[in-house]
Amino acid sequence: MTSFALAWRTAKRYRARTLLAIAGVAVIGALLFDMLLLSRGLLLSFADLLDSSGFDIRVVSGEGLAARLPIADSARLADDIRRLPDVEHVLMIRIEPATVLATGKPPRGISLIGSSDAEQSWRIVKGSSLGSPAAAAEACPVLVTRPLAAALGLTPGDSVSINVRPPGVASALPAVACRIFGIADFAFATNDELTAVTTMEAFRQAMGGGQPDADLVLVSSKPGAPPGRALRAIAGLRTSLRAYSNEDVVAQFNRNGFAYFRQISLVLSSLTMVFAFLLVATLLTVSINQRLGEIAALRALGIGRPRIASMLLWESALLVGGGGLLALPLGQLLALVLDRILRQMPGIPERMHFFVFEPRALAIHLVLLMFTAAAAAVYPVWLTARLPIADTLRREVLG
Amino acid sequence: MAALALLVLLTVPLSADPPAILVSRQLAARARLAVGDVVTLAVDAGGTRGRQFRITGIYEPTPDPMRFTADRLEARLHLPDVLDLTADPADPASREAVSAINLELAGGAKPNLFASDLMAQAPGIVVRPTARSATDDPFVVLDRFHVAISVVTMVAGTAFLLALMVIRAEERRETVGILRLVGISRRTLLASVAIEGLVVAAIGAAFGILLAYVSEGLVNRVFQARYDTALVFVRVTPSIALRAIVVAAPLGILAGIGASWTLLRREVLTIFHR
Repeated sequence: MTSFALAWRTAKRYRARTLLAIAGVAVIGALLFDMLLLSRGLLLSFADLLDSSGFDIRVVSGEGLAARLPIADSARLADDIRRLPDVEHVLMIRIEPATVLATGKPPRGISLIGSSDAEQSWRIVKGSSLGSPAAAAEACPVLVTRPLAAALGLTPGDSVSINVRPPGVASALPAVACRIFGIADFAFATNDELTAVTTMEAFRQAMGGGQPDADLVLVSSKPGAPPGRALRAIAGLRTSLRAYSNEDVVAQFNRNGFAYFRQISLVLSSLTMVFAFLLVATLLTVSINQRLGEIAALRALGIGRPRIASMLLWESALLVGGGGLLALPLGQLLALVLDRILRQMPGIPERMHFFVFEPRALAIHLVLLMFTAAAAAVYPVWLTARLPIADTLRREVLG
Repeated sequence: MAALALLVLLTVPLSADPPAILVSRQLAARARLAVGDVVTLAVDAGGTRGRQFRITGIYEPTPDPMRFTADRLEARLHLPDVLDLTADPADPASREAVSAINLELAGGAKPNLFASDLMAQAPGIVVRPTARSATDDPFVVLDRFHVAISVVTMVAGTAFLLALMVIRAEERRETVGILRLVGISRRTLLASVAIEGLVVAAIGAAFGILLAYVSEGLVNRVFQARYDTALVFVRVTPSIALRAIVVAAPLGILAGIGASWTLLRREVLTIFHR
């Protein structure tokens, strides 16, 4: 009989404890799997969000991404960028806090986005885009997020007045009459964000005339352009500006905004590993102590130490492997619950997730569990290896 | 608050009596500053509108969990000194501008009501209570996340305890049979395994609390050194310890009873395979 067959028989004979041990490993394995998904989940999700916007370079003022100050003479900068050979598309964005007033509703504070391109960075869920002929004929066509539409009961065709309130300056800008053309999902909008987007021309009117400078210039490189060449060319246009590739933005996010989750993932992964090791090692040890007579009898029948050790390794592998396999679907379910909890955090874009599956996480999960199974069997193997056969059998008979 | 460039004074002649400033511990360490040093603060690295200040103290910034990854390179100046330094000379109104005003309301005043009243009376300003509501507090969400993780760990721990108690029950199969034969009732035996489960769970919980208490200092020191902050990351409070015991005790009793139930409900002879 092979050592695996012996281990399988033991597992079947002590069914209750085997099932309970597998259940324990499955639950703790699910937590370990989730922590591995969390370790890079937000980062992967953020990178995916950036890539899905269709732009691969972001240009901001010299103060960096966090400050987002207006870029002086941004229209000329955009023209210069457009002329670069590796650049396909350029979009200028300006965001200012504003107040929106709808008929019969109290005023609400919103973020007003001015965009130089009517068709980019959002998905229309109701109504028409800013590029439609009707919108083009309107002085201030506006798209709003679903939370804003719900908060003010807005539908396409409604009129609102919007009052821009630049921060840090005493301002008395007049309100601008606007018409809602659509309700849209914005890639980076949070689930409670009150945002409206309009054309750069309408934004200019809302800012009291003049040419408002963009605070963000989004650039997409031509397909097939050598990586980094457009970025270097843009950075060379004006040394006072900062140009970031999507990878740069993700790296910055990784340094500043992701530390807590990386740390908690590391701490909890380590703890769950230790927990799983203790669980299996204790159960195997207690089980071996109970079966010392049985193992001594197997040794007396001629089954050698290596086969006994191999049997114990298989027992450990059955417990950890069974639990580890169950941990995968259980972990996915648990990840849904934990993700739903964490996404309630203020300021998290609606399309971002904390737990994102990647093959790397699965590979690490399997390697860690294999290591746990092997480590948990070490002490029981040592116990059985130095078991005195005759004494043990004699004690069993007398007992 | 304003972003200023700090230029350590080396050769520039000293002002007669430079105004006092405090610098954060992190800034003092980074720029190798000490109390009594004179430094020049300017609005940019080129030294525009630079002014000299004497460091009169080094302070530990109030730990802020929202900014624990940020470098706390800060200095505290008297407001008139900041305005002298940062106000635009071409704009007299800029000396009148501050970025925030902190208010302490009289007892009984409702912060939300006060905020909405003030915003209605002074359009263009934003008034916010300093206390966060449950909907915009990330720590409320993190607390829920930690509770969820605790529940999962507790489920795994219960399965672990149950498996151990099952092994213990199987081990004592014959002992239980003999005790039943000499007349000890099922109820008494059930009470004994419940007490055993309770003791195992309570000792486990106490050991866990002790381990958490001992490791608390280590965890805090590691993370405080990693992020150069005085923020306390882990704190084992009496209420947390009590909660751990209150949750573990009934689980231990249930595990003890559950594991022994199949053995105890049998007829006494079947325990001896008769």
